[in-house]
Amino acid sequence: MTPQSRIAAVAAPLVLILLWQLACLSGAFPAQVLVPPSEVARTLAALASSGELERHIGESMFRLGLGYVIGALAGLAFGATIALSRWAEAAFGPFFLALWQVPVIAFVPMLVIFLGIDEPFKVAIVILAAFFPIALATFDGVRGVPRTWFEVARVYRTRLPDLVWRILIPATVPAVLTGLRLALTRAWVVLIAAELLAADSGIGQMMEMGRQMFRIDVVLAGVVVSGVIGFALDRGAKAVERRATRWRTA
Amino acid sequence: MSALLSRPWLRIGVGLVVPALVLIWWQSQATAGGARAIAFAPLQSVGTAFVELAESGLIFSDMLATLSRSLSGLAIGGALGIATGVAMACWRPLDRVLGPLLMAIRQVPLMGWLPLIGLWAGTGGASELIVVSISAFFPTMLNSYEGVAHVERRYVEVGRIYGFTAAQRFRLILLPAAMPLVLTGVTQAFAFAWISSIATEILLGVGGGLGVTMQLAQTQQRLDIILVTIIATALLGFAINQLFCSLRAHLLRWQASPL
Amino acid sequence: MFPDVRSRPPAEAKAAARGALTISDLDKSFTIAGAPRAVLDGVNLTVKPGEFISIVGASGCGKSTLLRLIVGLDAEYSGEIRLDGERIATTSLDRGIVFQDHRLFPWMTLGQNIELALLNTDTPKARRAQIVADHIALVNLQGFETAYPHQLSGGMAQRAAIARALVTEPKLLLLDEPLGALDALTRVHVQNELQRIWMAQRSTMIMVTHDVEEALYLGDRVVVMSPNPGRIRRIVDVDLPHPRDRSAPLLHRLKDEILAELTARPADPANLVRLPGREER
Repeated sequence: MTPQSRIAAVAAPLVLILLWQLACLSGAFPAQVLVPPSEVARTLAALASSGELERHIGESMFRLGLGYVIGALAGLAFGATIALSRWAEAAFGPFFLALWQVPVIAFVPMLVIFLGIDEPFKVAIVILAAFFPIALATFDGVRGVPRTWFEVARVYRTRLPDLVWRILIPATVPAVLTGLRLALTRAWVVLIAAELLAADSGIGQMMEMGRQMFRIDVVLAGVVVSGVIGFALDRGAKAVERRATRWRTA
Repeated sequence: MSALLSRPWLRIGVGLVVPALVLIWWQSQATAGGARAIAFAPLQSVGTAFVELAESGLIFSDMLATLSRSLSGLAIGGALGIATGVAMACWRPLDRVLGPLLMAIRQVPLMGWLPLIGLWAGTGGASELIVVSISAFFPTMLNSYEGVAHVERRYVEVGRIYGFTAAQRFRLILLPAAMPLVLTGVTQAFAFAWISSIATEILLGVGGGLGVTMQLAQTQQRLDIILVTIIATALLGFAINQLFCSLRAHLLRWQASPL
Repeated sequence: MFPDVRSRPPAEAKAAARGALTISDLDKSFTIAGAPRAVLDGVNLTVKPGEFISIVGASGCGKSTLLRLIVGLDAEYSGEIRLDGERIATTSLDRGIVFQDHRLFPWMTLGQNIELALLNTDTPKARRAQIVADHIALVNLQGFETAYPHQLSGGMAQRAAIARALVTEPKLLLLDEPLGALDALTRVHVQNELQRIWMAQRSTMIMVTHDVEEALYLGDRVVVMSPNPGRIRRIVDVDLPHPRDRSAPLLHRLKDEILAELTARPADPANLVRLPGREER
């Protein structure tokens, strides 16, 4: 990042906020349509001081964390299994690919019937959202290890633990990490959608309640918070990815 | 052992084992009775639900509604996305100003816009279309930008050798060179528009569409109808995606190996 | 600083009517990490109309930079580069170039790629198809008009690039290692073809190459350059009529000489690489 683009990256949102504030001050928009950022900030502060914001964020993060960990572990295990065993691939591959065609969000009505609209449903939808991209990335990552590397290992008579530890895992890590990162942001998007639909807490629910009560300031506060969390998740995952793949040139 | 798998019939057979087991398990759950039987619709009722939906034509009008919503969103969001991406790549100042703004906006989960847009545009078809258009906007914008911004300099130099005007350079070099990525963006945008159509239909439940039917079936505890619509969603989504891929391959037939 | 170029006698200017290139006191430097770095230093060269000049030299001697300056892709230099008396500041349809990578547009067919060069010429639209067909025939690519570049072999693509460069009938054709990416056999084949084309067209050509044999086989004169900064070290006359015989003893003798020249270390003659051919003499 050049210093110039760094400045632009900081300045642009500030300019946006300024324009937004000016647009509201001009009186062109009635308060039911758009409230100034200063008011959104006030609402955010009020939500924060009453502990309500903390509770919503906490609930959302708990669902995301739990569902993501389960979905990621299952995805890693499944992806690695079907990549390493031709039989497992033949047995599970077609079913997996068929399910992969269904947008995760389309499972929502079915999951609601099975699990109701409480916590298990929201965690389950996050599990699904995380499972598929991670399983696919792991499969591609393991299958993508060049055959020649295994041949090199055979030439040097590398033992199996060394083969796994020194070749298979390092070669697979970049693809898997990218999958983990994409799955994290995707899980967040799906969780927000699920919370909009059915929840008694969480950022999505906060926005939905705001909409039903025509509290545009609350809705906008939710938009800002969900955006900041999405950004932080993506940046955090990218930082992990970079650290873990320092050896890569590109 | 795994050499056996090279026989196609055996491979297909092995691939059918898991779905068959799932179906048997499902059926046993449905017929076992008790509280779970309501959730697990027996397979024959899924069949009758399909016949019912097909005969009434509901499933087809739903498919058409969701499809036309996705394609309208793709047309609006995709056109704006390509125009914005190309303009930003061609004109640096615009990129400086608009780039970080759009990146900031992109951080908000797509459905997070729904309550806000619902307040502005009501909870009708207009809100659905706006969200679907936004979902199609970002993939086309980002890919078009990348495509035009990273046109190889060596091709631009050939244009200079033969005295190309700015318009010629754009039409004959920048646009075709960026085309693979632009089309990648359009294909991605369709997938996004498709998903967000279903999502907005489920969330708002207005107008027609596969999502609306799913949502309605959920309130009526009709898992059979949900399963039929899920299968319809998967098949149609898959078919349209294949169509986009072959369209892309046709338009990019000048490439050595179509991606 | 360059009065001789500007106040040239009319007779000489007339003789240099088509494709005469004069390079005088040419300096060129790039800024690398904030510090200027000389790439070309005091280059002087006069090319007669219709002459074939080969330029050889080690990597980094500025050969390709020199061609980029002549073709007008880079206008920042000090000194003079004049084509038929006119100072070169930008690209022009007077000057064609063939790059090492053929640079055919992958999204156009071979025919479209060649026709593209005529886009901004005043050639009547009706005649363009015929001119394109003629040039495709010139490089022996009949039947491949509608093929996309990825369907052509390396040698065919490079011949197509040569046809594209020739179709505007440039006074001066520059060839930047045009055969560098080809395998040895294809290379010999395209060299023969290039010689045939040059004899048919008789436009001025300047070719940069790594291959001393190729430089001698095609060039009326071979310019030997030395690197860091790029300077002309020597100009070798190849006094043999075209078409040439590859086995001509003169070519072999000159090749040994030039190779020795190129591999010599100017500062320390004791380090000179002793080639077998050189030992014999």
